[in-house]
Amino acid sequence: MAEERPAKWGLVVDLDRCTGCNACIVACALENNVPFVGEDEVAYGRALYWIRTQRYWEGEYPEVTPTFQPVMCQQCGNAPCEPVCPVYASVHSEEEQINLAVYNRCVGTRYCANNCPYFARVFNWFDYELPEPMRSYLNPDVTVRRRGVMEKCTFCVQRIVRGRQKARAEGRELRDGEVQPACVQACPAEALVFGDLSDPESRVSQLARSQRRYHLLEALGTLPRVTYLKGVGNHGG
Amino acid sequence: MSEKISRRDFLKLTAMGAATTAVMTGCGPMSRYVVRRPYTQMPEYNQTGESTYYASTCRECPAGCGIIVRTREGRALTIEGNPNHPVNRGRLCARGLTAQQGLYNPDRIRAPRFQGRSNPATPGRDLTWDEAVQVVATALQKPPQRIAFLLGLAPDHLYDLVSELTQALGAPPPLRYNALAALEGRTTLIEAVRRLFGSPALPYFDLAQAEVTLAFGADFLQSWLSPVTYTRAYGAMRQGNPRRRGELIVFEPRQSLTAGNADRWVPIVPGSEAHVVLALGQRVAELRGLPVPEAFRAVRPEEAAQVSGLPLEQLETLAQTFATATRPLALVGGSALTQPNGLVTAQAVLALNALVGNLGQPGGVFLSAAAATPTPLAEVKALVERMQAGEVDVLFIHGVNPLFEVPAALGFEAALARVPLVINFAAFPDETALKSDYLFPDHSPLESFGYQRSLAGSDRPAWSALQPVVVPLYDTRATVDVLLAAAQASGQALLPYRDEVDFIQQKILPLINAGGFYTAPEILTFWSRWLQHGGWWTPAAGLPTPTLERLPASFGTLTPPTPPAEGAFYLLTYANHLGDGSGANRPWLQELPDAMTTVTWNSWVEIHPRTAEELGLKDDDVVRITTPYGSVEASVYRYPAIRPDTLAIPFGQGHTALGRWAEGRGCNPAQVLPAGHNAAGDLAFIGTTATLTPTGRRRPLARVESKEGVYGEH
Amino acid sequence: MAVEAKPLETAVPLPHAEEDPREHLMFDPRPREVMNRMVMEAMTTTSRRYWAWVIGLALVVLVCLLGAWGNMILTGMGLAGIRRPVFWGLFIVTFVFWIGISHAGTFVSAILRVFKAEFRRPFTRAAELMTTFALAAGALYPLIHLGRVWVFYWLIPYPNARWLWPNFRSPLVWDFLAITTYLLSSTIYLYLPLVPDLAMARDRTTGWRHALYRLLALGWRGTEAEWHRLRRAITIFAFAIIPVMFSVHTIVSWDFAVGVVAGWHSTIFGPYFIIGAILSGVAAVVSILFVLRSTMLHMDYFIRKEHFDALGKLLLVFSMAWAYFFFNDYLLTWYGGEEAARRILTLHATGPAAWVWYLMLICNVVIPWLTLWNRTIRRTPWAMFIITLLINVGMYAERYTIIPLTLGHQRMPFDWGVYTPRPTEISIVIGTFALFLLLYLLASRLIPLVPVWEVQEGQMAHTLRKVGKAEVPSVTELE
Ligand code: SF4
Ligand code: SF4
Ligand code: SF4
Repeated sequence: MAEERPAKWGLVVDLDRCTGCNACIVACALENNVPFVGEDEVAYGRALYWIRTQRYWEGEYPEVTPTFQPVMCQQCGNAPCEPVCPVYASVHSEEEQINLAVYNRCVGTRYCANNCPYFARVFNWFDYELPEPMRSYLNPDVTVRRRGVMEKCTFCVQRIVRGRQKARAEGRELRDGEVQPACVQACPAEALVFGDLSDPESRVSQLARSQRRYHLLEALGTLPRVTYLKGVGNHGG
Repeated sequence: MSEKISRRDFLKLTAMGAATTAVMTGCGPMSRYVVRRPYTQMPEYNQTGESTYYASTCRECPAGCGIIVRTREGRALTIEGNPNHPVNRGRLCARGLTAQQGLYNPDRIRAPRFQGRSNPATPGRDLTWDEAVQVVATALQKPPQRIAFLLGLAPDHLYDLVSELTQALGAPPPLRYNALAALEGRTTLIEAVRRLFGSPALPYFDLAQAEVTLAFGADFLQSWLSPVTYTRAYGAMRQGNPRRRGELIVFEPRQSLTAGNADRWVPIVPGSEAHVVLALGQRVAELRGLPVPEAFRAVRPEEAAQVSGLPLEQLETLAQTFATATRPLALVGGSALTQPNGLVTAQAVLALNALVGNLGQPGGVFLSAAAATPTPLAEVKALVERMQAGEVDVLFIHGVNPLFEVPAALGFEAALARVPLVINFAAFPDETALKSDYLFPDHSPLESFGYQRSLAGSDRPAWSALQPVVVPLYDTRATVDVLLAAAQASGQALLPYRDEVDFIQQKILPLINAGGFYTAPEILTFWSRWLQHGGWWTPAAGLPTPTLERLPASFGTLTPPTPPAEGAFYLLTYANHLGDGSGANRPWLQELPDAMTTVTWNSWVEIHPRTAEELGLKDDDVVRITTPYGSVEASVYRYPAIRPDTLAIPFGQGHTALGRWAEGRGCNPAQVLPAGHNAAGDLAFIGTTATLTPTGRRRPLARVESKEGVYGEH
Repeated sequence: MAVEAKPLETAVPLPHAEEDPREHLMFDPRPREVMNRMVMEAMTTTSRRYWAWVIGLALVVLVCLLGAWGNMILTGMGLAGIRRPVFWGLFIVTFVFWIGISHAGTFVSAILRVFKAEFRRPFTRAAELMTTFALAAGALYPLIHLGRVWVFYWLIPYPNARWLWPNFRSPLVWDFLAITTYLLSSTIYLYLPLVPDLAMARDRTTGWRHALYRLLALGWRGTEAEWHRLRRAITIFAFAIIPVMFSVHTIVSWDFAVGVVAGWHSTIFGPYFIIGAILSGVAAVVSILFVLRSTMLHMDYFIRKEHFDALGKLLLVFSMAWAYFFFNDYLLTWYGGEEAARRILTLHATGPAAWVWYLMLICNVVIPWLTLWNRTIRRTPWAMFIITLLINVGMYAERYTIIPLTLGHQRMPFDWGVYTPRPTEISIVIGTFALFLLLYLLASRLIPLVPVWEVQEGQMAHTLRKVGKAEVPSVTELE
């Protein structure tokens, strides 16, 4: 059996491709059993999007143009959300090199959420019950969170694990592109590319070396695993 | 029901099939062959804890993307794209991704039902399917000319069957209406293709390889023809072309998602698109050293500049950019077509492509192999008139919600009341279903067989297959089966099909020898592969090249837009992720922020901030928008990317029925749209003007953006 | 060592020698027994109004605190107004507020004791009680604000089968440790000087009170050896509790300062919070003293204008110190020019909620500075009451500015959000205020609120000497 190399999962968001269509939000929500909260709660900033598209406007009419930037947990290599959690519910995973949210350990201090400079973390303010038979579509690979628990993008860690197990069972290494989080899989513009950053040949590594690359709030030193590629031309991004 | 082949046979067949990938299996819980059993008696194709994937086709919009549904323990979990499907190549849009919320929606109609429509005091009652089939059989015996079918754009197999049925009966052919197709001016496009290239077809634009693209009204990133195809192509156009990054220029009065992603957005006067295209065409021909075709001489550039509000210099720059580009491409749709000049615009844009010689070239225009069957509004209008005149005895409705989608000005509701028998196959209690006599619910698309053969986004001849991915949850029945059973029960030998599967198999039979990427010696094996792959298509891309014999001397008469009267505004509506409104009962589509405004769960009216300031309107003020056809109320969204003389309301909200998540939110712009149509018969609403009256009330919109952070207001 | 009276070489003239020195408690001695009786009377007299208050407050605690909290536990944190991105709201604001108030007792009794500030004597007890009860009220908040309070014990380092320890890198665990230490040590520190007074009460009561005091007095008889040990213990604790006090509010400030939140990440937060805490704590002592003086029997003997005067001076100094730290925090961050931090500071002063910021400045700086320099105002109890209440309003506004008003406007403007407190959390906050008052009311009738022995000890050291015709106050150094 092939010796397993620890992977360093990373994501590239090509803002020149991204159209801001938001398919990634829904794909993520239904893969990860993210509840919907309804109009009043969304209005009060309590939607549970794990990924959301930040839309700003640039310029003045008629040169006005929106800029779209999908932001999810950046899986910081040096994550501010981790040290502040008193019960180790926000921890770094050795195997995937990402930040994990341990739902059943979380006590709900929400400290991590304050300390995440990307606002990537969301909180279960209530129990969000699904009427029957809607529960049927819940993904059994992902815990359904109860009230009082933080949650956030996990790079669809369940898919990473499934992919790794499959590769292990077949006695081979994971192929580049074999594992895709739900958002990456859905993105119709192919703006999202996922893969192993520790493999210099992987597509994600190649893209992450692009001259258009930047990291969000780079100055904070959080070492995000998500790389953005700037939009080009007067189309912002 | 037929016991044509057992599931076990299927397994054998699948084993015979060449590569049964772990991803897609050719056999599934096909409703008629599988009985409902408790999970403890799991059928052998399902193992506890193991996912099974089924290929099928998305029916959330007419595009027909290929999907793969992940199921476990007999439940449909997530919808993923079919990576081999020629339309979407594994990608999906937000609508397609929420299909399981339709399947498991608690508000579905769960059994056939009779409702006391004419007399509200008559209690409704549940029926058995045998009674239902009898009702349909009796209805089919009405005088054929007095029978009408109104269908939606999906599924195609039902349309094919109904077409055969009406032909056999001698009844008028079925109509197909869909608000999305109406809003994007699909018929106009098809008609323009017919006029220029000889036969009716949808054009296919090779956006991925284009280098300079002019888009007139076509919101191809969100609703036009095949959003996933074109969004993929857009990504490739931006970053997939090694030679240069494609450039996109969009002409629209209101910035759509497409215009928002463009390099330049030209906020053109609504209704002046044709003038601009013609003027551009003249200059492009001159710049390319070609004789200016007669049809393009219909307007002088100065006139175009004056009508459209674009400076002449800008027109000149645009013409130069387009004329000198290596791979220029011009798209047209949406607001450029749904107007009195629509057919002119469509022809002019197609001709513009011909001028720069991109027909059949990489980055150019092709003809889609797809069938082109939408019904323009004009024919719906004719049906309404027949209904009004009492010439329709029975109306069958499937896959469309005319009371919501058709402009109210058409008077569909009043006409419906005059039809003595309305049979609706709706899966949800939508507005029309509530006003029908009988509800004979069809399966949800994820429980259904079928096919889509109008795949506007496919770059090759293709058919997309539907198969049930779960056992039907309720006592619903495939409409095709109901019609076939009724046809049999009516005693006449109307149709030579035993049931739905038999019908589909006979329909796809010719594909066996049509050069697809797989074939089989006989239909059963072919069928299992068809299901396994989620359809059939050719191995290589290739579409017919349009040939332009001769440009007509004129594309038609041009009416310059009339500027709105003092205090009035142009009004337009557009489809966002809620599409034709049938998605409004998917809670995650409601929760999904609108791409441009980030508003959720509601409708709004977009007003330019300057106009709002002049009118003293603030965000979230409720205003009443009145046109000669009606009025609606919506909260103000001060939208920086719209012409100051234009208002826009998104389509899809404002349901008065359709279940808990759809009802009572926002407003339905169909209430204020005119019933007029353009030369192709398509809905023509661009140019409608509306007045706006503040109501003094406020209803805050649930937006995801921070107004303070984005607009710097407190 | 016992009390040793050592006469000073020269008598110290009082600052305002023109007035009668007998206005000062220390120069207005009464026999021990008289004072004992006064304290006992004050403790055992209850009016109808008192009981009305007790019952009223108990109801408020029951409904507003326990009821609302219970409902919130069963329904979800969403009942509070917190939201993304303001994940902390009134709960944490009030938590910091109570922890701040709790600095009163320690400051008044330990620091003033160590520095031998004589005016502290009659109200050390009242202040220490505040510490304990404010901590009790404040310590509820870390529980109240937990999303899943039913597993709160996961925060406690206890050995368990899975070897799951809390994360000692988290300031919340430091908080937990600091607060428990402080609660424990301040309770002991309250209890130690109480023992002789409990014994005094034991000897003057019958019935259940007697039994209670007998138990609590630990068999105190007042022997020389007992006094000796008591004084040693008090001295040790007085010194030991000061660093604990400093650490507690520093750690509370670290909850904020160690984060990357713009506007929180400031090295000056530790001392800034401590000064703020002492300011609010001392102010709260003044407010409480006014209430005690005007509602309890004989309290006007023990608590006099001179005390308001002295505390007023302290308040003025702390208000200045607070202003100094505030200035440092704001000016330097603003000058540093990190965009996010700067934007927040600008928003504090100019945003839609700027009134909170101005309220803070007016109550913490403008009002104290305008009034407390004036001796007459300082010596007017009701004026001091109003001023100190306002100071605490200002300190509440300070915490509100630092917490929700800072969290709402971080580095990603798209996700900004405005926090509005909702009924549930307001009710819980009111509930803890009621809890504090209720505990205080009950305690005021259960334990002697004035440490008689300390007062007497002071009075013994202060004498009026006749020098010629004039009476000169003289103080003896106590050791
Ligand atoms: S799905 Fe892709 S294109 Fe759409 S918003 Fe997300 S990243 Fe952008
Ligand atoms: S983005 Fe936020 S939640 Fe994600 S690892 Fe970084 S700090 Fe933690
Ligand atoms: S574009 Fe249409 S067919 Fe494709 S996924 Fe979206 S809704 Fe479904």
